[in-house]
Amino acid sequence: MRHWWVWVWLCLGATLFPPVHAAGPSTDKVLNPGAELWNEVRGRQAAPATTQVQGRDSQVLVNEWGEHFRDYRRQRFVRYSGYLLAGVVSLLLLYHLLHGGLEVTESGRKVLRFELTERIVHWLLAGVFLLLTVTGVVLAFGRFVVLPWSGPEVFAVIASASKEGHNLFGPLFIVALLWFFVLFVGRNLPRLVDIYWLIRAGGMLGGGHPAAGFFNGGEKIWFWILTIGGLAVSTSGVVLDFPALVEGRNPLVLALVVHGIAAVVLIAASFGHMYLGTLGVKGSLEGMKSGLVDEAWAHAHHVLWYEELNRKAQAESSAREQGQ
Amino acid sequence: MTVTEFVDGPLWYFALAVFFLGIAWRLVVILANGWRGDLSRPRRSGLTGSVRALFSRFAPAPGIGRRIGLHLTGGYLFHLGLFALLLFAAPHVAFYAERLSLPAWQPMPHWAFVLVSELAFIGLMLLWLNRVLNPVTRLISSTGDHLSSILTFLVMLSGCLALEQAHEPLRVLHFFLVEVLMIYFPFSSLMHAFTFVLSREALGYRYGRRGVPV
Amino acid sequence: MARMKFYCDAERCIECNGCVTACKNENEVPWGVNRRRVVTIKDGERGERSLSVACMHCSDAPCAAVCPVDCFYTTKEGVVLHDKDICIGCGYCFYACPFGAPQFPEDGAFASRGKMDKCTFCAGGPEETGSADEFRKYGRNRLAEGKLPLCAEMCATKALLAGDANVIADIYRQRVVNRAASSLAHGVELQRQKFRATPERERTRTRGSEG
Repeated sequence: MRHWWVWVWLCLGATLFPPVHAAGPSTDKVLNPGAELWNEVRGRQAAPATTQVQGRDSQVLVNEWGEHFRDYRRQRFVRYSGYLLAGVVSLLLLYHLLHGGLEVTESGRKVLRFELTERIVHWLLAGVFLLLTVTGVVLAFGRFVVLPWSGPEVFAVIASASKEGHNLFGPLFIVALLWFFVLFVGRNLPRLVDIYWLIRAGGMLGGGHPAAGFFNGGEKIWFWILTIGGLAVSTSGVVLDFPALVEGRNPLVLALVVHGIAAVVLIAASFGHMYLGTLGVKGSLEGMKSGLVDEAWAHAHHVLWYEELNRKAQAESSAREQGQ
Repeated sequence: MTVTEFVDGPLWYFALAVFFLGIAWRLVVILANGWRGDLSRPRRSGLTGSVRALFSRFAPAPGIGRRIGLHLTGGYLFHLGLFALLLFAAPHVAFYAERLSLPAWQPMPHWAFVLVSELAFIGLMLLWLNRVLNPVTRLISSTGDHLSSILTFLVMLSGCLALEQAHEPLRVLHFFLVEVLMIYFPFSSLMHAFTFVLSREALGYRYGRRGVPV
Repeated sequence: MARMKFYCDAERCIECNGCVTACKNENEVPWGVNRRRVVTIKDGERGERSLSVACMHCSDAPCAAVCPVDCFYTTKEGVVLHDKDICIGCGYCFYACPFGAPQFPEDGAFASRGKMDKCTFCAGGPEETGSADEFRKYGRNRLAEGKLPLCAEMCATKALLAGDANVIADIYRQRVVNRAASSLAHGVELQRQKFRATPERERTRTRGSEG
């Protein structure tokens, strides 16, 4: 670096005397037409492209998102959602083997937990959810799981049925979800006691069962996962179900990505809900079937709600006595 | 004979025969039971009562409308949707023209078809859930009633899965379930599609003669 | 076996849409479906170019990768075809395709998708070659008759080339050399260049190296 001062002067010169260009329309600007054309073909420049053919994105020569979509679907979505679902199932299995389900000695006295309408809407949502899960899983993973042993002809029938069923039952999920939300949102608003409940992980870490209202912290989290995830799945699902609503192809790709991720999260969370509702906490399923739960169950799992019920009953009976 | 040929041929004619002969037989048996005369002097016309009952019973009895709101909504959604699909779905109209040699009429457009089937499904599911979850309806439901619900649901489900009309096995499955339903129909509570008229007439006539408002 | 390819020469395409018409007519494609389309960049401005696009029959086709029912297959000639009996019309191939080749017959207000339709390189489909079913679902099987896709065969300016990749590449290479001013090499727009005849010496050498 003997001539370092040359560099210094050059740099100074460059800053003091910037090269003069773009003064007026340049006539001798040399562009590489090949590269220019390719940039325009790729849509990197805002060159207006036209075509006589009418159709979705027909004026687009090269679809920029195509390879990303392929990479997402083949390399990421199938793999990571598989990990998530398998992980959740094995975690639940492990928990059940080590810990077992919770059970309380029944008192024999029953209290009403869920009204008829609430039960009907719950099972409507659950039924539609299950149908959509099965058909959706067939469409997302069937090629890798079902097709190898069913053969393409049989799988085509299953997949076609799944697609039609999925498209037709999708809107029912929205109706059921909204109805469910209206019925249950009041009891699922977060309260301070839920935070205590969550810190102690619902008593799973030992130290007895923490107090909970009508719904405990975990149930409230599931409710909000369902609401937000359900909203994402529904919005993107409407776009995919009725593609005429959007222009071009990128909104559809975006909707498909959102739909897949939200659906997998919902399915994974629903596994937890299904486990806790049946094997995990005995007596819960009965509450959603007949609407009645045992008093001991209510006291053990939702003590604040149970106390409130008792207070109400006492107030009612005292009011009746006063009336007499 | 392949499964498709069997379902399209002999089984279809058998189902058709059982369906119509069975319904005719049951109606004849009911009517042949005869009418036990009412010897008292009529206070009002029984005929007016029977006509009134036939239509007034489409609305819920006064006072219980709100209490059975879900049941009522589900019932109407399902039944109206089912009739619309049965009569005006494009594949069904084509089927009637082709297989029953009926003159083809104007089917409903695809969007209406989708909308109506959504409503019919929600109605059917609400009715079924009510049947299972409501202690009263569960108590009075027999195995046959549950079978009717499940069979109807399966027929509608298979129909909606075959909506693409591209895969023969799906159409055959739907058709097979329809045939099973048709064979089952005359021997089940699904006969209410016809007998509801008889029961309302009888009730309306009796009440009409006694001067009870219906 | 030959590997079939399309090539569209942007310097030659005059946006006559003859290829589009030929394709529709030869394969009797339904309304709303266009297996081939001509896209014009900078229409009416300097540097206007047109390109005729259809399925490019990728060696590693993205449509086949994302298809949930695996209905795509590649023939021995390197033509990417699909089985309409298996296709469920989900539209994923359209999302992944770089060229927008997959088409869907749409009907009704909700635009529900029918089975996918795309350019077959005039190679028919999985049905029996030359059968009525094959024609109804996939169009003409010209390859089996020893002919090339009609779009390319009837291209007036021979901008659209179809056939064995090696032959197509050689033709194009020769064109570039013959144009004498390869737009890539010289950085000069071809339209602004004066016509310059290729020296006889060079022309013979090119032809010699071809064989």
